[in-house]
Amino acid sequence: MSTSKTIVAASEAEQSIDLYRLRQPIFAFGYDGSVRYANDAAMQLAGDDPVSQQAFFSRVFQACRFRKPTSDIQRPTGARLPSIVGAGDGGAHVMWETPEESQIVVALTPTEIQGPGPCSFPLDELTGLSGRTQLLLALEAEIAADSNVRNDIAVYALDLDRFKFVNDTLGHPIGDELLKAVAKRLRSACRREDIIARVGGDEFVILQKNISSTADATSLAERLIDLIGRTYVINGHSVNIGLSIGIAFLETDVHSGERLLQNADLALYRAKHGGRARFALFDPELRENMQRRRAIEIDLRKALAFKQFGLVYQPQIDLAKNRVSGFEALIRWHHPERGVISPLDFIPLAEETGLIVQIGEWALRTACSDASTWQDDLSVSVNVSPMQFRGGNLADTIMSALTKSGLAPQRLELEITESALLNYTDEVLATLSAVKAHGVQVSMDDFGTGYSSLSYLQKFPFDKIKIDQSFIRGADDRVECRAVLRAVAGLGVSLGMKTIAEGVETEEQLERARLEGCTSVQGYLTGRPIPLADVGAFLRSWNQSVRKA
Amino acid sequence: MSNELYRLVYYSRSRIAKAGEEFKQAIEQILATSRENNLRSKVTGALIFNLGCFGQVLEGHLKDVEATFERIQQDDRHGDVSLLAVEPIEYRQFDRWAMALVSGSPDHAGALNSIGSQSGFDPSKFSADDLYATLYRLLLEEEALRA
Repeated sequence: MSTSKTIVAASEAEQSIDLYRLRQPIFAFGYDGSVRYANDAAMQLAGDDPVSQQAFFSRVFQACRFRKPTSDIQRPTGARLPSIVGAGDGGAHVMWETPEESQIVVALTPTEIQGPGPCSFPLDELTGLSGRTQLLLALEAEIAADSNVRNDIAVYALDLDRFKFVNDTLGHPIGDELLKAVAKRLRSACRREDIIARVGGDEFVILQKNISSTADATSLAERLIDLIGRTYVINGHSVNIGLSIGIAFLETDVHSGERLLQNADLALYRAKHGGRARFALFDPELRENMQRRRAIEIDLRKALAFKQFGLVYQPQIDLAKNRVSGFEALIRWHHPERGVISPLDFIPLAEETGLIVQIGEWALRTACSDASTWQDDLSVSVNVSPMQFRGGNLADTIMSALTKSGLAPQRLELEITESALLNYTDEVLATLSAVKAHGVQVSMDDFGTGYSSLSYLQKFPFDKIKIDQSFIRGADDRVECRAVLRAVAGLGVSLGMKTIAEGVETEEQLERARLEGCTSVQGYLTGRPIPLADVGAFLRSWNQSVRKA
Repeated sequence: MSNELYRLVYYSRSRIAKAGEEFKQAIEQILATSRENNLRSKVTGALIFNLGCFGQVLEGHLKDVEATFERIQQDDRHGDVSLLAVEPIEYRQFDRWAMALVSGSPDHAGALNSIGSQSGFDPSKFSADDLYATLYRLLLEEEALRA
């Protein structure tokens, strides 16, 4: 049941150390397997039922492999301190016998063990806190202990804010010292019987029993956030981090420790999204949200695999020449059960799950290949998500899509939103510059809705500004919208960028866009998004109507 | 590095929810504990309390100063601890004091309040150097008065 196992055996240390208070399970066995002593931690694992206790102790004894008396153990002569000795069966044990050699006191720090035989308690080496295994065992023990009283156990999932920054800027040795200091502060704020575990680089979990109310838990959380957020001084450096906490209580429908931890993690996720340095309580809704998101993620992966995505193309009209200058590629998800799903409903999730990178690449390659079948003077614009810039190979993907399709770079237009420039600005600008050098056009999408920062327009020589449709629609009855429309069109003229009015639906709006100086329009009035197959027909009918006019 | 002498300066808000005699006792308690700890860890320095703020200078070997500051950070009686400086120093300025309480002993009624009016001391408005210099000046003035 166990592979390699190390056993640290203590002796009559009971006299000098308060073994009963140690968090580590400690047993004393006679060579016949009889239990002479078990401390509190050991008894907690053994449970209350005499039958299960007997089974538990026998399992531990078996695991320790004390089959025979001392003859089997080559004890270094005169060894009074724990030392490594070989046991006959090849397992390496560290042990210490009582002077009379009548019993062995063992504290278990074994490695892995499977099934319900709990004697695996690696402590976290750095901080001396419990490890994940010990935490889980304690949790399972609690869950098994009493299924009736279920609301007096709280689990806190803790995550340090900005720890990575400290590690990256001050180095790992300081990061390690910081973790030790955090562990000490946690210990100082918790009760002696609370279990504190380090379960990841900068993640901790506290298991607390016998809490009397939710207020108990929230006040501890507040105290911890204050305490951990206080300045540290480490090797002469002043270090500041924050703490976010998710709290979950043991509810009647929770049947496993993992599940309880997961609930706390979900609450932690909410706390972090709420702005860090705060705590959040678990709420079943969090689990439902997670399940919904996960279901959509699975669906999205399927959609990629089964080619459920499709592109439609919306015409863009050059106002000066009154001709179709190109099309914007828009993605649709043809869901087998839910029908056609708008990008508004799945792109945010695709971004959250990172699937946007693959979906975006598919869209880019498909659009380039579709557009290569059009006449030479038509462009195709493709939306690029900020997420696609991460990782740094977007430029390669774009160039490969162009090469494969044979589309001239000048006919491809990338549409990026301002948010793409908010973070990793240098990376994004480098990618854009690289593709622009090949002739690819770049436009600023949804201008006017976000920060609408003029500095972004200065940072990169955009070819086109797309004025958000809310201004085109709003200009019908609001002077301010008309002013924005005019200002942005004017800005385009001054900066040498084209301006396209989006969402043009009426003749009146079309006229206004023209009057205010926009160079192009796009919208239901001049053409709805159409499948690739209809592009030819659309162009023919447009050209006919222009000739007639 | 841990053997180098360092000076640490901070101020904090008091969270002692007590008044009058009880408050003085609390301050005395802090001071006594602090002196005891500092003697053991060879940390010297000065503490001032006014307008609801503690201002403190700690001097000693880096690891001792850090340990002392960490103890303070874990102390519920302080809130909003603002670290003003941690810096190496050539020699101790407060080498004669395990922890001097500037403005005399709390057994002078109203002593704590009177420093405020005498010195205009509001630690939260001070820079590290100001706080350190003020503490040192006040301390010397007091000693001169007592002498």
